[in-house]
Amino acid sequence: MELFREDGCLTDEGLQALIDGQLDELGRLEAAEHLSYCTKCLDRYTALLTGDKLETPPRDLSRPLGRALWVHLMANFYGRAAVAAVAAVLALTIWRSGSLELILDRNASALEAYVPEQIAPPASDTVPESNYITPPRPGDKTGMAEKVQQAVGGFLSGFAAKTGNAGTTN
Amino acid sequence: MVREYQGLVYTVCYQLVQDADTAQDLAQEAFLAAWRAADRCPAGCEKQWLARIAANKAKDHLRSGWARKMSTPGDEVLALAGAPPDQGPEARALADLGQEALRQKILSLREPYKTPCRLCLLEGYTPAEAARLCRRPEKTLNAQLWRAKKMLRAEIEQEREQERRTGDGTV
Repeated sequence: MELFREDGCLTDEGLQALIDGQLDELGRLEAAEHLSYCTKCLDRYTALLTGDKLETPPRDLSRPLGRALWVHLMANFYGRAAVAAVAAVLALTIWRSGSLELILDRNASALEAYVPEQIAPPASDTVPESNYITPPRPGDKTGMAEKVQQAVGGFLSGFAAKTGNAGTTN
Repeated sequence: MVREYQGLVYTVCYQLVQDADTAQDLAQEAFLAAWRAADRCPAGCEKQWLARIAANKAKDHLRSGWARKMSTPGDEVLALAGAPPDQGPEARALADLGQEALRQKILSLREPYKTPCRLCLLEGYTPAEAARLCRRPEKTLNAQLWRAKKMLRAEIEQEREQERRTGDGTV
């Protein structure tokens, strides 16, 4: 069987053999190459593909294609811009609704319960526990002068208590 | 469009690759390619346009499979597109052959190989010129030249092998 005519186009029997699945791999490759550029043969071929000659795909193509198109859309520039816009709107909504402050407050109170235990020095005889100044936590708006003043005040009161104790014992 | 033409696109892919799963994948790729190039679809010719895209997808699949099967180490220089006509084992095999014998071999090739080989190997046209004369894409013509050389080489080697055997038999 001749697949091609002398003018280079597919023969009628060649097209029929393609439809009947009788071509070998090389023949199918040659036919595919020809159909990809020859409009006349493509018209002849598609005219033969009607009615019962059409195969039904094992799975419907529209669903996976819809998913693939969605992924493609998301992957390109406009898709990314749309995702960024949605993220911005979401962030703004959370911020305006007060949810963010609620979350931060909850975190701050948890920190308050946790920090003093971690940074408080061990109890000793030299510095009475009541005079110990809790170091400022991050976020406290205490100025440097105030911090120094508190530290000096604490030291002096501790020192006075110590000398007082020593005077009474002597 | 997908619902209307999925049968056609799948059929074209299936008849060319003869494998249901591959045809399904190729049909999906064809529709994606069609969607990307939707503005180039000629009005009223959707059926032919989609069939052509499907045939192209199947062609690429078959071509890569055929090239993988037929490639031997050292053949990479004979890439499908733009392979120089005077390099490679096929060209050497053809050069060893006498001018008249080569001419006979080329003229006895079947279509779609005879015309490109006659133009490029006998009449000295470049693949680009031959592609214009044959009204085929240059890439297709290069692929056909590449396969034709493989066929000619295989034929020549087979003949030499037969000659060697008959020579051994007479001695």
